[in-house]
Amino acid sequence: MSARGILLCIDLRSPSAIALAIALSAPWCLQAQEADTLAAASVYSVQVFPVVRPSEEVYLPGVAAPPAQVADVLRRFTGVQVKDYGGVGGLKTVNVRSLGSEHVGVFLDGVQVDNAQNMQVDLGRFSVDGIGLVSLYNGQKTRRLQTAKEYASGASVHLESERPLLVDRDGGRVRLRGGSFGTFNPSLQWDLDLGPVTLRVSAEGVTSHGKYKFPFFDTTLVRENGDIRSLRLESALFGRLRRGEWRLRGYGYGSERGFPGPVIRRATGFPFSAERQADRNLFLQGGWQEDWTPRYATSLRFKFADDYIHYDTHPEKNPMALPYDLHYHQRSGYLSLAQSFVLADPWSVDLSTDLQRNALDTDAGQSVTPRRTVFTGALATRLAWERFRVAAHAVYQGAWDGFLTPEAGGWSRENTFRRAWMPSISLFYAPFRWLEMDGFLKRSYRLPSFNDLYYSQMGNSALDPESAVQAGLDLRFRHASGPWSWEGRLSPYFNRVTDKIVAIPTSSQFRWTMLNIGRVDVTGVDVRLDGRFHQQGWTAEAVFRYSFQRALDHSDPSGSTFGNQIPYIPRHSGGIDLRAGWRAWSFSWDTVVTGERWSRTANTPDYHIAPWSVSDASIARIIDLPASGNRAKAPVLKAGMVVRNVFDRSYQVVQGYPMPGASLMISLEYTW
Amino acid sequence: MLLLLCGTLCFCACRKDSVPEPPSKDAELTGQKVDVSGFPESVRKVFLLNEGGMGSNNATLDFLRVSDGTYVNGAFRKMNPEVGAGLGDVGNDIAVHGDELWLVVNNSGIVEVLSAKDETEIAAIPVPTPRSLAFDQRYAYVTSWAGAYATGSYDENGNYSVTDSKNPKGQVYRIDLETKKLAGSVEVGYQPEGIAWYGGKLYVANSGGISSQLPPDYAYDNTVSVIDTDSFRVERSISVQVNLKNVYADGTGGIYVTTLGDFWSVHSGLYRIETQTASGIDPVSKVADYVSVSALYGDTVYCIGTDSEFDWGAAHEYQAWSVRNGVRKALPLKVSATALYSLGVLDGDTFLVGDAGDYFNPGTVSCYSGGALRWTVKAGVCPGHFALY
Repeated sequence: MSARGILLCIDLRSPSAIALAIALSAPWCLQAQEADTLAAASVYSVQVFPVVRPSEEVYLPGVAAPPAQVADVLRRFTGVQVKDYGGVGGLKTVNVRSLGSEHVGVFLDGVQVDNAQNMQVDLGRFSVDGIGLVSLYNGQKTRRLQTAKEYASGASVHLESERPLLVDRDGGRVRLRGGSFGTFNPSLQWDLDLGPVTLRVSAEGVTSHGKYKFPFFDTTLVRENGDIRSLRLESALFGRLRRGEWRLRGYGYGSERGFPGPVIRRATGFPFSAERQADRNLFLQGGWQEDWTPRYATSLRFKFADDYIHYDTHPEKNPMALPYDLHYHQRSGYLSLAQSFVLADPWSVDLSTDLQRNALDTDAGQSVTPRRTVFTGALATRLAWERFRVAAHAVYQGAWDGFLTPEAGGWSRENTFRRAWMPSISLFYAPFRWLEMDGFLKRSYRLPSFNDLYYSQMGNSALDPESAVQAGLDLRFRHASGPWSWEGRLSPYFNRVTDKIVAIPTSSQFRWTMLNIGRVDVTGVDVRLDGRFHQQGWTAEAVFRYSFQRALDHSDPSGSTFGNQIPYIPRHSGGIDLRAGWRAWSFSWDTVVTGERWSRTANTPDYHIAPWSVSDASIARIIDLPASGNRAKAPVLKAGMVVRNVFDRSYQVVQGYPMPGASLMISLEYTW
Repeated sequence: MLLLLCGTLCFCACRKDSVPEPPSKDAELTGQKVDVSGFPESVRKVFLLNEGGMGSNNATLDFLRVSDGTYVNGAFRKMNPEVGAGLGDVGNDIAVHGDELWLVVNNSGIVEVLSAKDETEIAAIPVPTPRSLAFDQRYAYVTSWAGAYATGSYDENGNYSVTDSKNPKGQVYRIDLETKKLAGSVEVGYQPEGIAWYGGKLYVANSGGISSQLPPDYAYDNTVSVIDTDSFRVERSISVQVNLKNVYADGTGGIYVTTLGDFWSVHSGLYRIETQTASGIDPVSKVADYVSVSALYGDTVYCIGTDSEFDWGAAHEYQAWSVRNGVRKALPLKVSATALYSLGVLDGDTFLVGDAGDYFNPGTVSCYSGGALRWTVKAGVCPGHFALY
């Protein structure tokens, strides 16, 4: 990529540090290089500007001491609640603005990471390795050549893999990380320049015994059976074309872990849990984007995934265990074609069409083997001037469900077709250089998962589908003077979720009790203030975050819980992040605060969860090493230390799942 | 501690007034006031075990003190503050035996023995996955799903050792009423639920609730195991219907068994087994379909059910009826509930009905007499099991 291309991109965007990151990772910048005339540049403006900016984003390679898991990145996004069951291998899901995790789509390079079985994406499994930009859209992400599914979820988290930037013919990174809970996390990444194609190979392993002390009434117990072993192997090809680019990624992940179970009263001699799960995820994912003419571009994306889970309660080790020994094999195929037409600059129209097939084979339940075929089509139109932009989208989703069963009995009545229209509109207006406003209005819908429909023995298979209507406004202020720059965001919103499905863990994290609690009205405000200082080797940043969420159960006016706050949603939450850098040193301090919550819609003292706050601190240092021989790039050594839960607070995000106390991780990284 | 202190103060105060019997330590507990006029005089307290949600550690014990019409919530925690974790996870059965109140806390692996007078703990007996209780003169009998422990045993520290792990059949554990210690076990069918004693025999309803979800057969159990209490061996098993739940002995030789059905083609219902036939076989006859909740009172089984039970979205209309000597009689009781969950019978006319609501938040208990609703109070999560004292 030429320096000119980078500069053009920076010019088009706001002069924040993130812009550089986007410029480096975004494929459309390649096109910008060819923008020779003003007219052409104008056409590209339609394509380059996302209509609204993400609510939050972070460029991970720019973070001095990035957390190991994507879940820990999202924890510091305003308005996001990470449901964390504790421990290195514990389940971590996100909900955004009181929308359940099923409404939060997680996308890797535009392709949804989904799980038809339970629609829960465990963000604890996502390594930050190889990820460039992580962004959160509370409303509608809208830019050219999105997959249709990117238009179809209530809120979305986007992970963009980082395209390797090689100075020499090859390059790489070795990292060793380890510390508390017997955690050892080595990883390796190696890039090779093959001319028009760049190869990236990476591997990462995690082992941890997962034991930690926690208080249980008047005693102290040790969290047992929370150990994990995992291995990730990945290789990716990044290709450049004259008018586009392509990517191909092969991914393999395997893990074996214990579920420590909820902490409850248990007779002496019986463990809390002996449950184990072994899983394997394989996928092949690719994309090809081509600008056929300055006015017409396409993007083709696909994914084939094969996931396997073996879940065993091990009754021979735990007399309290129900004797489950189950196997789940899920396969999916996904194909997406996105087309973008510039009708008349700056007016463009996008048509995206996705087709997905999911199949689940299992010996659980009645051995039903559900199949689901989903068509998603999105028609989007955008008008994008620099200061004023508007986009409208109409998404249609149709899902055919059916299943095979050894004895085709009455169960087949569950063969059903579900469909939904999901319209949305986004607006952007920047009246002054220092002020941007955007707003959105959106309806989205989520399909019931296979677990909801077929396997939830502990709960309710007669669930209604869940739909969400969202409206939101963002006001962003920006000011810079001398070494100081300030940014602020004020985002009021309203969400109405009807037939909201609440997932409550049963005695095992693997099974959920599902509950339709009817209608929930959420009124909230997100506030974010960001101040930066940059001068002569010094950098400093302070971020203040605050979220107000009034998420009320409005299901049944005659019900006893009408008007109460829904479970696990704090009315007040927020945090403070402080960062400082001096030459090769960097320091950070993060405090996350969650206000009082209830674990039931009955907001009674019995179900009250006390407010908590935890703070993490980190220190890192970069050491530049001399370049060797014929290599242009000098190797870099980076050493870092993170202390999590500095004040050793005991707290629970989910009731019955105590979180670890103070812990230490040390990392050493060598990049060449 | 404070509560105990209050109890002691009260005890002293009462002694001054030289009342013959000291009042119960739980006399200070306050609660919701209800109208108990017309309640039978033999009933001092009505206990209610709220199951709670699995994994939520929120089983609770409520009771209604008939003397002053007070409904007390969460009595276990109030009377036993030293048991920090509370009653535990998933209360599954309750029974009064003499002056003792026996509670089965399923997912805590505990059979809790309390004083029925003041709910203070007498013993907490570890039993793996306990389900239901029955008594004879010497022992309490507890059904258990923990088939893995067919040949396991406790050591002196109370820890199990296991020899056979892959057998999912259930057990009946025997607890000595004097020592409150386990005194052996016997293997029965798959996931045994209800149990009843009559004439030296135990009748155990095997559900197969878990084996119906497991390969290779995905089949419910459909048998009642008959255990001879002298030899403590299974004598025979009687085929009834799939997914059996409760067992009641009417005291005259009739054994009633309820089934939950298979939630698809077999409806819930009530069956009667004749046990005193000369031929040695046990004739089984169906009494009726549609049993959502049931309870035994004297020699009569009371049932409430709905014929729209497979339609989960429907607003159900419930029919109540009773069975005595195999003869079914409709009752003029019209119950309305969001999620009908339990039935307590005070006499042939006064009923307590538990409503689980959304199964997640605290439910309610309603009192009906003369077929009509008298009052409703707030209970705990999933109000499931009644016992009279």
